[in-house]
Amino acid sequence: MSRRTFVFFVCSPHSRTGVTTAARLLTDYYLSRGIAVEGFDTDSREPNYALRFPGLSRVIDLGDVKGQISLFDRLLVADETPKVVDVWSRSYDQLFSTIAEIGFLEEARRAGVEPIVLFQSDSSQTSASNARMLNTTWPNLWLTVIHNEGAAPLRSEAHEILSRYPARGKLVIPKLESAIATALDDTNLSLNAFLRNPPSEISIVVRAAIKSWLIPIFTQFQSFELRMNLLSSQFLR
Amino acid sequence: MKPTVIVVGADKGGVGKTTIARAVLDFLSLNNIETRAFDTETPRGTLYRFHPDETLIVDLTSTADQMKIIDTLNSTQAKVSVIDVRAGGLSPALEALDEIGFFDAVKAGEFRFLLLHVIGPSIASLDEIAEIAPYMTDANYFMVKNHVNDTTFFEWDPQTHSKYFEDVNTTGEITIPKLGELAYEQVELAGTPYSFFIANQTAEGEPADHSFVLRGYVRTWLARVADEFERVGLLDLITAGVARGR
Repeated sequence: MSRRTFVFFVCSPHSRTGVTTAARLLTDYYLSRGIAVEGFDTDSREPNYALRFPGLSRVIDLGDVKGQISLFDRLLVADETPKVVDVWSRSYDQLFSTIAEIGFLEEARRAGVEPIVLFQSDSSQTSASNARMLNTTWPNLWLTVIHNEGAAPLRSEAHEILSRYPARGKLVIPKLESAIATALDDTNLSLNAFLRNPPSEISIVVRAAIKSWLIPIFTQFQSFELRMNLLSSQFLR
Repeated sequence: MKPTVIVVGADKGGVGKTTIARAVLDFLSLNNIETRAFDTETPRGTLYRFHPDETLIVDLTSTADQMKIIDTLNSTQAKVSVIDVRAGGLSPALEALDEIGFFDAVKAGEFRFLLLHVIGPSIASLDEIAEIAPYMTDANYFMVKNHVNDTTFFEWDPQTHSKYFEDVNTTGEITIPKLGELAYEQVELAGTPYSFFIANQTAEGEPADHSFVLRGYVRTWLARVADEFERVGLLDLITAGVARGR
């Protein structure tokens, strides 16, 4: 039985909310399971996501029609390879206006591709209203909120803020101590390779902290993936 | 349904007459109205390249070709005939139709006549209106502003407008939206009707390999053009003789 091909748009209308971190974690999650994945980075000025996955990602300029072609035409290929799009905050509007203009979501469903929005939450009203706007425009579009406790902390208001998002599900990326988080900045550090074989040059304390941070995140992705597969299975719904 | 002749023309070149004629053919086809077309770009035929099955290349000043169009209006199965008039040929074409008594037949209610006058960006375009005004008494005149090539139009003040339009009763004004350069170019290269390009088909109906993004842009553009045609009541005019546009 062929499965639907997942296309993840990891996005936020605001910068510094942890979009690239989430896109990176999701990509590494698939790689850690030995599943081929393709990545797209829409920040053509500082493609931090693409730099981490040079062999499997490409940089896209969404302001250019040729860039749109190389993104959307590829996303519509139902080859069961998950595709992760790291949406730069400055290309957020362009992405969704192009999706609307070309009728991408309707065509994706016809082609057996399941678009999923992983919306990065933050404490602003505008983020939540942008998420609501997506939900109103495309009620069938799967939208899940990612709360990055380190990049965009919601503190005690988290429950109230997250309730403003019209999301089907929530993923949490826990805060990592800044000393530990620094180790993740190294563009050569592969998180999926780290789990298999932690680099000996990193201190044992840091290794342990990263591992205990990563595993619950990957477990959430696994449970999310399982849920999506169950929902798209005609026999197990 | 009364036989209807739709002339798409302008005396200026490069204003997108064939683009509009192609959009009209797609619009009517999508609305299940059988249509035939005549291309006056002899001998090459621009419209013919995109719609070869329903298009005939004609010379409107030749009696034999006039007969092919006018004498068959009642007998042909296609009740709508679209004539794409080559650049500079609009006034002579209308003159030729007048000479053979076509406008008298329109006045007598035998045929319906619509003119889609594609306006260029300069004031010179407006001078054409004075030239065609004598033939417009019983016609439905549509002024078409074509933005497909990024044309910008000057705004007319009421005085200028009334000066040029005092003799022409405008049925409606149609605005053709812009289509992205790359999408436009690819449809040109494909050489098929817009609807074939959108459906990812070659001219022979075989599967093509057009970009989904470009097909999406063309689909949205054609839908907007169809909205414009519906807004001015083009379909009602053809089928019922009354423009009940929005």
